[in-house]
Amino acid sequence: MSLFMKRNKPGVVFNTQILWRLNSTVAENKDEEEFRVLDILKKKDSRQKRIVRRAEVAPDRAEKMPTDQNWGNVWPGPRSFHPSSVPLPIRQGYVPKGQVPPGKKANAELMKIPNFLHLTPPVIKRQCEAIRKFCTEWPKLLNSEEAIDKHYPVEIITSDYCHASPTIRNPMARVVTLRIKLANLDLDKHAKDKFLRLVGDRYDEKTDLVTLTADRCPLRKQNLDYVNYLLTAAYHEAWTVEEWEKEKMEDDMEYYVWDNNQSKRNLIDWYHRVSGTEQVLSDEEYRNYDISSIPHAKEYKEAVSNLFNEGESEETIEKYGGTVRKLLGLPERTV
Amino acid sequence: MLIRNIRYACRRYSQAVTFRTAESSPAEHNSNHVGLFYTINKDLCKQLYGHGGLPKSYMKQSKTFAETVIMVRQPALDIIACMKASDLEKPVTKYVLYGEEGTGRSMTIAHLLHYAFEEGYLIIHVPWVSDWLRRVQRHKEMSNSLTREGMVDVPLDAAAWLLHFKTQNQHLLKSPELKISKEYVWSKREKTEAGAPLSELIELGISRVKYACDVVDAIVHEVKHLSNTGKFKTFVAVDGYNGFFNSLTRLKTPTKKKVAPEEVTLTTSILELTKGDWKNGVIVLSADMIANPDEQNKQIFPMNLLYRKGFNHLDPFVPVKVDRYSEREFITCANYYRDRLWLRGPPEIEAELKLTSAFNPYKFMEQCAPL
Repeated sequence: MSLFMKRNKPGVVFNTQILWRLNSTVAENKDEEEFRVLDILKKKDSRQKRIVRRAEVAPDRAEKMPTDQNWGNVWPGPRSFHPSSVPLPIRQGYVPKGQVPPGKKANAELMKIPNFLHLTPPVIKRQCEAIRKFCTEWPKLLNSEEAIDKHYPVEIITSDYCHASPTIRNPMARVVTLRIKLANLDLDKHAKDKFLRLVGDRYDEKTDLVTLTADRCPLRKQNLDYVNYLLTAAYHEAWTVEEWEKEKMEDDMEYYVWDNNQSKRNLIDWYHRVSGTEQVLSDEEYRNYDISSIPHAKEYKEAVSNLFNEGESEETIEKYGGTVRKLLGLPERTV
Repeated sequence: MLIRNIRYACRRYSQAVTFRTAESSPAEHNSNHVGLFYTINKDLCKQLYGHGGLPKSYMKQSKTFAETVIMVRQPALDIIACMKASDLEKPVTKYVLYGEEGTGRSMTIAHLLHYAFEEGYLIIHVPWVSDWLRRVQRHKEMSNSLTREGMVDVPLDAAAWLLHFKTQNQHLLKSPELKISKEYVWSKREKTEAGAPLSELIELGISRVKYACDVVDAIVHEVKHLSNTGKFKTFVAVDGYNGFFNSLTRLKTPTKKKVAPEEVTLTTSILELTKGDWKNGVIVLSADMIANPDEQNKQIFPMNLLYRKGFNHLDPFVPVKVDRYSEREFITCANYYRDRLWLRGPPEIEAELKLTSAFNPYKFMEQCAPL
């Protein structure tokens, strides 16, 4: 063999094959015309190509939907987005530069967000029609917000939850919120102050609403009772005057009452000195002194009260200065 | 040499019309003089502000400029107008100056002091309250009061103030009308007879420092009494008045107890003076943020600085705001600095300084110093 290789040029393999074939002794009885070739070196072109078989894909359901279908039946309840059920050309997601947003198919963005496809206006209308027979008629006299506020000052807010899960209970359903306008409660000056201190930050000054929320009991009924109890207790507690409340000092006051303060005494003393009728007054006399005899005293009272109650600012100080000048008979400030 | 002098004179004359006023009597100042500087006589300056009264940095600058000038500004004119219009037979009128730091409250008081001096007021001037209550040298002279239980004396400060009072009022103290109404007994051997001149009391306070605080108290009472009887009119000026209403002073007793302002005898004397129960007087006070450094919310308004306590004590008072420079005042001030060769360089520099100093007089002064 080695001799043979030497004599022949490399690359002339074909001849060797033929030589080898001539020497074969295997009988071929199947195909008379052509012998099967034993392909030892496995040439590429002789290898069999695998045919990829593709399954037949049915067209998208969304494309087959009729335009006059009942959408409520297609999408009856809350469900995460499914592209084949929604015949809308929706796109959502990150937009690469110069491209359009990704389409609805295999789009996680669309599946993540909650949808309201089950709550289309016709469906809502239909459902409302269905439950209408359970409703009673709205009282005719409660025809405006004012009337409702007047006859039902206490507002109870609860939430009902409805969902498809093994249990129909939702723990959030027990929470009860009570709202009432402070103006609707019968409170005097002291009681109002005490009530506000009792409710603390549950009172909103802007809307004048007191909001009490209870979630401590396991049932809604219990929480409702508790909220009512809270309101009742706070109301009646506000009306009681305790012994220690007499010890309230001027510094504990929540707003500045000019009549109780040193400022009034200063003014009265000053007035007496000006008019030359100095006298010693008791606390009570100071408090009940009628200032209408003093010129400009009304404005002065207002200016000082403003200064304390609204806080010091350029305007309040200027107003105070102006009234003091009037009171003392000094010329106006020149600018 | 001659040419230089002429040039110098020309320069001065050419600019003098724009920023200076020859009217050196504050009583004659009116709105036409707003923003202009007037010069105070040197001797008078020494008498009025020799022991304090002008801010330290301003003193330094005046020394550099070899003259003391004060700008005529609106707040001072305002108060002068009020003083002219007010009836001295009525109880004392109180003015409280307030404003940002460095806007010139102390300078307004200085201007008013000059006015009061010219008008023949007896001047009671406390240059800076915190000097008594907050500035503590290594050995602040302090002692427990002999006459008032539980109170603290600061005798050296009191004596220094008596000296200040004496210098400011030296011309008035000569008059024989200033007599003491009652007898003061200081010790077994020392007493001041009723009918003795007020200056004797002051001399005693200065020489016997031990009694200085009590002398101050006596003077306050005497001055109130004398004013009430109409012997003369009194001008009270207290700078940094709100220092009296701080919760604590920096003073400490030998037992290391911190002292509250109302436990210092001088405080009670001055507070007695600022009550509204006397007449023939004018009170000008200033509320200063620096005087209560413990204050957290930085507001310039008087009620915030005086607290409820101080407001109740003073009310009703006239708040007077001292504002920053107006455009015109700024220009005259810059012209003055140029005249003094304090500010040099191109004219654009003024526009820049306007922005950097934000029209604040003190800042403007500070920023001009290195230019």
